[in-house]
Amino acid sequence: MVDLASPVDWLLVIAGQVLITVGVFCDLVASISMIRFPNFYTRLHAATVGSIGGAFVPIIGVALVAAGSEFLGVYRWFLCGASLVIAFVELLLAGAGSHALARATHRAKAAPVMPVIVDQLEEDRSRGEV
Amino acid sequence: MGRMLMIDLEWWVESCLTLLMIPYFVAFLLYMVRILKGPTLSDRVLAVDALGYDLAAFMTVLTILLKSPIIIVCSVVLILWIFSLDIYVAKYLEAKELGG
Repeated sequence: MVDLASPVDWLLVIAGQVLITVGVFCDLVASISMIRFPNFYTRLHAATVGSIGGAFVPIIGVALVAAGSEFLGVYRWFLCGASLVIAFVELLLAGAGSHALARATHRAKAAPVMPVIVDQLEEDRSRGEV
Repeated sequence: MGRMLMIDLEWWVESCLTLLMIPYFVAFLLYMVRILKGPTLSDRVLAVDALGYDLAAFMTVLTILLKSPIIIVCSVVLILWIFSLDIYVAKYLEAKELGG
């Protein structure tokens, strides 16, 4: 009880922990749906929930928690800035990587498009428009 | 105001983050199931992607728990490697090779 944290620190820590909790929930949902979904193209949705909701959001939360935690020492500002940079780099890279993988899989026919009603990309490609 | 400030902030952060580690391990195990039984190569790579990004987030949580903020550098490297794995596998699926 020597040095009490200020209310601003508490506010930052609580906001960051709320974001980390949302991220953990998205992570669980993504991992369950990664098992439950029927084919590769629906699992893309699960992977993107897991990489944006389950990684971008908790890293922002870690940045807020680090900004409010005095016990981490002076390097907590390094941790806060690096977390923000990592979060935005990950926001760009996760979508780009998933898109590249999906495009290559559809072109190479590496995964079966099994429960499907209409596949207009395949129709356009067979007609030679794409 | 006075009542809440009697709680030690360090104890609060550590206990909350320690409790939050349990769902992370459950999610990692479920991703490992898809990696092992994925019918195609693309499924496995997709599960490795999601697992890698979540490991990066988990590593940033560990920096606060272990009180060593320098571990955050490993998270950068992990995210970049996972992205390059995506690009390598996409190149392999389209061109059936990894060369120039």
